[in-house]
Amino acid sequence: MAVKRQLSMVMDLNKCIGCHTCTSACKLQWTNRNGREFMYWNNVETMPGTGYPRDYAEMGGGFDEEGALRLGKEPGAEDYGIPWEYNYEEALMTGTDPWLRPNVKPTWGANWDEDQGEGEYPNSYYFYLPRLCNHCENPACLAACSRNAIYKRQEDGIVLIDQERCRGYRYCVSACPYKKVYFNEEISKSEKCIFCYPRIEKGLPTACAKQCVGRIRWIGYRDDEAGPIHLLVEKYKVALPLHPEWGTKPNVFYVPPLSPPKIGEDGAPTAESRVPVDYLEGLFGDGVKAALDTLTAERQKKADGADSELMDTLIGYRHAEMFKLS
Amino acid sequence: MKWALTSGFTAATCVTLAFAGVSFAAGDTIIEANVKALEPGDEVAVARIPDGIYLRSVNDPDDIIWERLPEYRMHLASAPPVHQSVELRIDEDDPGHDVYFSLARTSDRFYVRLRWRDETRDTSTLLDRFRDGAAVQFAIGGDETSYIMGSGPDEPVNIWYWRSDANKVENLAAGGPGSTTRLEEQSVSGDSRYMTGKESLANQWVVVMSRPIAAAGEHQVSLEREQVPMAFALWQGSDGQRDGLKRVSEDWILVNLAAQ
Repeated sequence: MAVKRQLSMVMDLNKCIGCHTCTSACKLQWTNRNGREFMYWNNVETMPGTGYPRDYAEMGGGFDEEGALRLGKEPGAEDYGIPWEYNYEEALMTGTDPWLRPNVKPTWGANWDEDQGEGEYPNSYYFYLPRLCNHCENPACLAACSRNAIYKRQEDGIVLIDQERCRGYRYCVSACPYKKVYFNEEISKSEKCIFCYPRIEKGLPTACAKQCVGRIRWIGYRDDEAGPIHLLVEKYKVALPLHPEWGTKPNVFYVPPLSPPKIGEDGAPTAESRVPVDYLEGLFGDGVKAALDTLTAERQKKADGADSELMDTLIGYRHAEMFKLS
Repeated sequence: MKWALTSGFTAATCVTLAFAGVSFAAGDTIIEANVKALEPGDEVAVARIPDGIYLRSVNDPDDIIWERLPEYRMHLASAPPVHQSVELRIDEDDPGHDVYFSLARTSDRFYVRLRWRDETRDTSTLLDRFRDGAAVQFAIGGDETSYIMGSGPDEPVNIWYWRSDANKVENLAAGGPGSTTRLEEQSVSGDSRYMTGKESLANQWVVVMSRPIAAAGEHQVSLEREQVPMAFALWQGSDGQRDGLKRVSEDWILVNLAAQ
C-alpha cells in the first residue's frame, strides 16, 4: 500500500538487555486500563520461546505465496495470560492480610518462559526480541477488515483502527500473523499499537524508544537517506524484518544477534555460533548471514581503531541522531 | 423428525396439548402449529392487535398473544460472501436454518417476533467467543434495493440487530456491504428469552423487536406505507459467525402493514 512517507523502527537485538522498560513505558502510556490490561502493544519475549500471545507464530494469518489472505485464529485469554494484581495495600500497608498474593491464580503470562531459551550448558542460548505492531506496508489486518475500519496514514504509514467504524468482528486479530491487534472485551472493539502518533506529531519518539535503557531503537522515515533507518536497512542491510515470509512487509526491522562460538566436545570453541544461524534465518529470512558477517567485520574495524559508520550508528551516541522525525 | 399439526388446529390448542403432557418429538425443527412456509417475494399481512390489548411488557417474547397470531417460516441460507474474510470462513456445506416469525401491529407500534432452534446459547462477546444474533432488515425504498445490505447510499436499508450479549436491539442503517452504521435515534427496542424445559420448546431463542410506527429520523424505515420489503438474518455464535458470516433469507418478502 503506497503511502507518501513511511515511519520505521530498527531494533538492535545485540543491545537488548530484556529489562522491559519499553513495555512498561508503553503499558503506562496506553494499556494499563479500560479493558486493555491483558494487552502488550509492546512486549519483549525470550527467543527461542513461545512468544506472546503463546505460540502466536502457529496461529496463522498473513498472506500466502500468491498474496491471498491466510486464515488465522483469535487467541484466547489464557494465550495472552490473564492479568493479575497483588494485594499490596492489605499485605504491606494496613496489615489486614498476612500474605502478599495475586488476586487470580497465575497460570500463564507474557513472560512465563522468560530466559529459558534452548540448548544445554555450555551451549545454552537465548536472546530478547521486543515486538510491537510492524505498521506493515501490506497490513493483513487492513486487508481482513470488511468495514474499512483500518487505515494506513498517508503522511507516515502508521496503521490505525478507526474506533468509530470498528464493530469488533476480530478478522484483524486473526489476520495479523504477529498477533499485534487485540480485542478489547470492555468496548467490543479492536485496538493496537498506534506508534505513539500523538507523540510523533509533536516530534517526539515513541514511548518505547525514548525510554529504552539499552538505546536499541532507531526511528525515522524510510525515504530519509541521511537517516538511521536507511543506513541500517538499505545501505548496510543489517536490519531485517521478522518473518518476511508472512507477506505483510513489516516496517520494524531487527539487527540479528551475534553470539559467542559454540563449545565443542573437547571444550574448545568451534567455528559455529552459539545461536544457530538457521534458527535466526527462520525468524529474519535469508539476509541473516550477510548481516552477521557485516556486523562482525565492522565491529572488528572499530576494535582496530578504524572508523565505522555502521558501528557509530549502532552505538547510538545521541538520541537526536537515533530519532529523525522530520 | 417433524411434528406436524393439521391445519385445523390452532396455536392455542397446541399449547394446551403441551401443557396436558403430550410429548412432542424433539429434533431440528420446532413446533409448527399453523406455520405457513414463505418463499422470497411472498407477501405477508401484518396481524393487527386490537386497541386495548397489551403485551405484559412492551416486547414480551412469551406473551400469550403470540400464540394467537399467524406464524411464518423462512429458510435462511449462508449469505453470499462479499469480503475475503467471509469467504475464508464460509461453510459451503451449510444446510441453512429455519426462522419462524410473526408480525403484528397496534395503531402505533410495529412488532416482529422471531424464534429459531439453537442448541447453544452464546451470549458472550469475548476474545475468542462470538454471540448469537438476529436481525431484520427493511428496504427504505422499494424491493429493487439489494437485499444484501442495500444498494449504495442512495438505496439504503434499515436494520434492527438484536445482540444476545446485551439483549438489546441496535437500530442500524447500511448502504451496501461494509457500511453498517449505528443510527443516532435508537428507536427500536427488544427483548428475548432462551427457552429451556420441555423438549419440543427447548433450545430455541425467542426475540421480539418493536418500534413506533412513526419513523423518528433519517434512515429509519417508513412503516406508514402499504408494502415494506423485509429480510432476516441469524448469527450462530458458536460457529464464530459475525458480520457477513451469517444465514439470511434470500431476497425480500413484502410486508403489508395496511392489512386488516
